[in-house]
Amino acid sequence: MADATAVAAAASSKDPHVGLAAVAALRGLQEALEELQVGNARAQGWSWAQIAGVLQVSKQAVHKKYRRLGN
Amino acid sequence: MFERFTVGARTVVVAAQEDARERKQAKIRTENLLVSLYRDQESAAVALLREAGVEFVDVEAEVERLASEDSTPDAGKLALLGIDFEEVRKAAEETFGPGALERTQAGKQRRMFGHIPFDESSKKALELSLREALRLKHKEIRSEHVLLGLLHAEGGAAHHILAAKGVTLDGMREAVAGLGEAG
Repeated sequence: MADATAVAAAASSKDPHVGLAAVAALRGLQEALEELQVGNARAQGWSWAQIAGVLQVSKQAVHKKYRRLGN
Repeated sequence: MFERFTVGARTVVVAAQEDARERKQAKIRTENLLVSLYRDQESAAVALLREAGVEFVDVEAEVERLASEDSTPDAGKLALLGIDFEEVRKAAEETFGPGALERTQAGKQRRMFGHIPFDESSKKALELSLREALRLKHKEIRSEHVLLGLLHAEGGAAHHILAAKGVTLDGMREAVAGLGEAG
């Protein structure tokens, strides 16, 4: 399968462009998943402090980032 | 703009997105639109292309070659890290419903999870297909107008594929005008 070959070739390459782009994609995925989980926690009545505790970030950081999701 | 597109022309646009996705492209390009014109073998656009000596196999070969040069979309990049994006998506959707990832801010910004945007040339080609229809005083945008838009958009690969086959914008305009509104 062409895909697997491309992946294998890229994984073994030391091209920074390839590696950095993969990390950026991972960050995008992480952001999306975090938003889903924070939104769900808020919907279930969790406080910002509780969410921040489990996420291992400061309460201020999580509030600033996600207050747009609603209170 | 799309409200002026006929069902046939819309089908071409949708097929172009599917085509880009299947080829794992990050964006929809003019050559995806060109190859998608062949989806409806009965369309006027296909008749015009055949008449001009441009067959599906020629276009397909060229599109395939160009797709291999395209940058890898996010799912491909995540695979490099050993992450199966489809599995992650499935898990997220089981918990949060269909399209859950796409609805997040990151999902919208990166357009990483399925929606493939048009690149500059293909956007231009679609705009030009409207202009070509207006120029011919046709009220609807049909697949043959999309073909003219692709010829007109000089920055796109479709233009170059067609030009290499000796197809010119002026010649095709005449052929489309000859079809009349009924074509």
